[in-house]
Amino acid sequence: MSIKGKLLAASAITLSLCASSVFGQDAAIDKITPVTDEMLTNPPDGDWLMWRRTYNGWGYSPLDQINKDNVGDLRLAWAWAMTPGRTQETPLAHDGIIYIQNSDQLIQALDGATGDLIWEYQYELPDDVDPRGIRNKAIYGDKLIIGTRDAHLIALDAKTGQLIWDKQVANSDFGYSFSSGPMVVNGVVVQGTTGCGGGQPGGCFFTGHDVNTGAEVWRVHTIARGDTPEGNSWNGVPLESRHGASAWIPGTYDAEQNLVFAGVGQPYPWNTEMAGLTPPSSDPNVTNEALYTNSTLAIDPGTGEVKWYFQHLPTDSLDLDYVYERLLIDLPVDGQERKLSVTTGKIGIVEAIDRTTGEWLWHVETAPQNVVLSIDPETGAKEINPEVIPVIGETTFNCPADPGAKAWQATAYSPRTQALYLPTVEFCSDTTVNPLDPGEIYTGGGRQTYSRVPVPDSDGNIGQVRAINLTDLSEMWQYRQRPPITSSTLPTGGGLVFVGSLDRKFMAFDDETGEKLWESGKLSSSLESFPITYEAGGKQYVAIVANFASGLGRLASLTPEVKLPSNDPITLYVFALPD
Amino acid sequence: MPVAFAFPRLAGPLLALALAIPAAALLPGPAPAQEPLFYDVPYAPGQWRYGRRLDESQLRYCVDRRDPDWEVAAAIADAIALGLLLEPRRHVVESKLVLEDITRVYQVMLEHCDLHMGFKLIPGGYGGWATLTRAYYEAEYVFVTADPDIQALADLPPGRPIGTTMGTSAHLRLVSYLMAVPADERWPAYPMGTNVLALESLLGGTVDVALVWAPSLWAKQREEPAYADLRVIDPTPLPPTTLGVGALLLSDETFLRTAIDEAIAALTEDGTIAGILETYGFPATAEP
Repeated sequence: MSIKGKLLAASAITLSLCASSVFGQDAAIDKITPVTDEMLTNPPDGDWLMWRRTYNGWGYSPLDQINKDNVGDLRLAWAWAMTPGRTQETPLAHDGIIYIQNSDQLIQALDGATGDLIWEYQYELPDDVDPRGIRNKAIYGDKLIIGTRDAHLIALDAKTGQLIWDKQVANSDFGYSFSSGPMVVNGVVVQGTTGCGGGQPGGCFFTGHDVNTGAEVWRVHTIARGDTPEGNSWNGVPLESRHGASAWIPGTYDAEQNLVFAGVGQPYPWNTEMAGLTPPSSDPNVTNEALYTNSTLAIDPGTGEVKWYFQHLPTDSLDLDYVYERLLIDLPVDGQERKLSVTTGKIGIVEAIDRTTGEWLWHVETAPQNVVLSIDPETGAKEINPEVIPVIGETTFNCPADPGAKAWQATAYSPRTQALYLPTVEFCSDTTVNPLDPGEIYTGGGRQTYSRVPVPDSDGNIGQVRAINLTDLSEMWQYRQRPPITSSTLPTGGGLVFVGSLDRKFMAFDDETGEKLWESGKLSSSLESFPITYEAGGKQYVAIVANFASGLGRLASLTPEVKLPSNDPITLYVFALPD
Repeated sequence: MPVAFAFPRLAGPLLALALAIPAAALLPGPAPAQEPLFYDVPYAPGQWRYGRRLDESQLRYCVDRRDPDWEVAAAIADAIALGLLLEPRRHVVESKLVLEDITRVYQVMLEHCDLHMGFKLIPGGYGGWATLTRAYYEAEYVFVTADPDIQALADLPPGRPIGTTMGTSAHLRLVSYLMAVPADERWPAYPMGTNVLALESLLGGTVDVALVWAPSLWAKQREEPAYADLRVIDPTPLPPTTLGVGALLLSDETFLRTAIDEAIAALTEDGTIAGILETYGFPATAEP
């Protein structure tokens, strides 16, 4: 038996002992019910069953026990120290049980009311794979579905933590990895891949897997191939010279159309001259948009067929991902009810397309930016400011810089207010193209250096929470503070919007006015994660993981007064009202 | 023969340095900085566990078996250690990963070594957490082909593609040149993720010329007969692109860096490094 096999066997023995010992003291895990398709479509109010809670990606909970009137009494209910490291965790909650994934891929089930450990499972990463967290996980039937840093999908028994199956999706030796976990649609596990840089050309992919076995049933490449208009959109460079297009954020799902909507990241390297995308080819049959980078893909989750796509930012040269969440919202546009897919890229522009056709509908600008000069109201085509495009031998000035005015921290939508709540930051960058091949193996990422600077005439407030009314596209309110806002937003049925910041604070705002109604004491580290709320034993809890995740913390150079612990502690904090 | 006598000009100053190194090692070593660990500062799991090292009589160095020059670099590091009257302690990094982020070196160094051999001296190419020694050799990026009709890059007809290891100094120079010439005089430049992939694209016929790091070509030609017929051609109309290669240290190792710089200077001057390069037939020069 291999060492890994022995470790797994030992782990299994340990886990079985652990499970039997805890069953006696806590039967909450015995009461969990299998998660059905119907539950995923219409989740119980007290559950948080997927990344943004519902298939439409709203990130909204109808729970209202904690509300505007009593949120001031919110207290710490319990906390749980997680493995130090880096992660961007979204806890998952079902029937009062909390599931978390530590940065070292230790998966744990906790009693949501008490914080007591019920079971844990240690997934063993290869030694040379960096142990970092995964943003989310999925639950289906009796299985907890987990993505790992070495590009495996595993299924655990949600009651016991026992391994049910383990499927390698891609070879991590070539850089393939998962930084987000899967979603499950009609028994198909849908997973996106990241890390498709120089180690393995050809781009990333989404895969679909049988939830019962992990077997791959389809694969969609995120870089277009073949002699098609899409395949010929890479300026004539061959497939082995096409890089990037990572699929590192989970999608959303429209049951009515049976379509998954997911974003794709930018091309690598970021500089288009290096990527071979400029100067444009003189071949009339060749273009240089680099499809499907920075696009919304509408994917049939049963077959993997791409029904249509919409590219939000062609020929990206500034690492300005359009990979983030697609919120599925039905609202009138010009007096006509439309089915929207709403996303916000790093530029901070909120954009809506019709999710039945891919037709462009509208946009709203938020944070200051100088990348897009104008947007065609009919097609959504963006006129890019030529002065911000990085050029070898020059330093250019662009707003925002690479972390984005809005980054992986997800926006959220409340049906109470019909508003989108955005965590944003304001900053710019002096950008220089650098040769960054210091070693044969050790390379320097996207090969552009961003020196981050404040927005011209800044009031000094880097972080904001913005509320945009999606019925008339007006700004309802805006909260500003100096430290960056670093967590996703969480609107609730109680009329609150929860959010966290770099300076270790968890806050609650009035969803209609933006008044700050509650603020936690300073927690153990910055809050770079996805807050959730859930119910256990009839009581509402609000949970957030305090952690440094290297996302908007990259703005630390702009707020050096914010000091964080050097050992990257990670702690799950759970708040509730006093009994 | 005692090492100090092998390098008589080093003996005096380096003996003093060697005696001083243990004292320097008593200072806080590559332990976690007291500042927040933001993106540009690397992170290593459990990094707070690493403190002062106790083996002051050793020079702990890393070489990476994936580097084409790792054996040459190890021989140079051994010479540096001996020049400093320290016992060389080699750690060979073993991994199957094709590429890694530069910040990974931080973890390797916390765990295994004081200096990591094999990094190009690129101005602005490193974060504030790292510093480099002076170069112990200089090597070139080279244009390579198997086409007998091509003796210089200028012989390559416009429109025929060059496969270039992407993001290198030579790639940037090539791209800048191509942007400056009329469209009908350009060669398509196909970015390849690694030197090996660029060479493979040449063998596979995707490109007519590859632009790669000369040590990578050297290593492939030593290992695989399929690469034997590849030839380096004159880069004209471009000038040669040459870079120095040194060792990486954590930036707080200022005393050790000074000592190593002086050792490299002495070993270059007395011909030791040139001798090592010649022994391996390595395509680099030791420049004073």
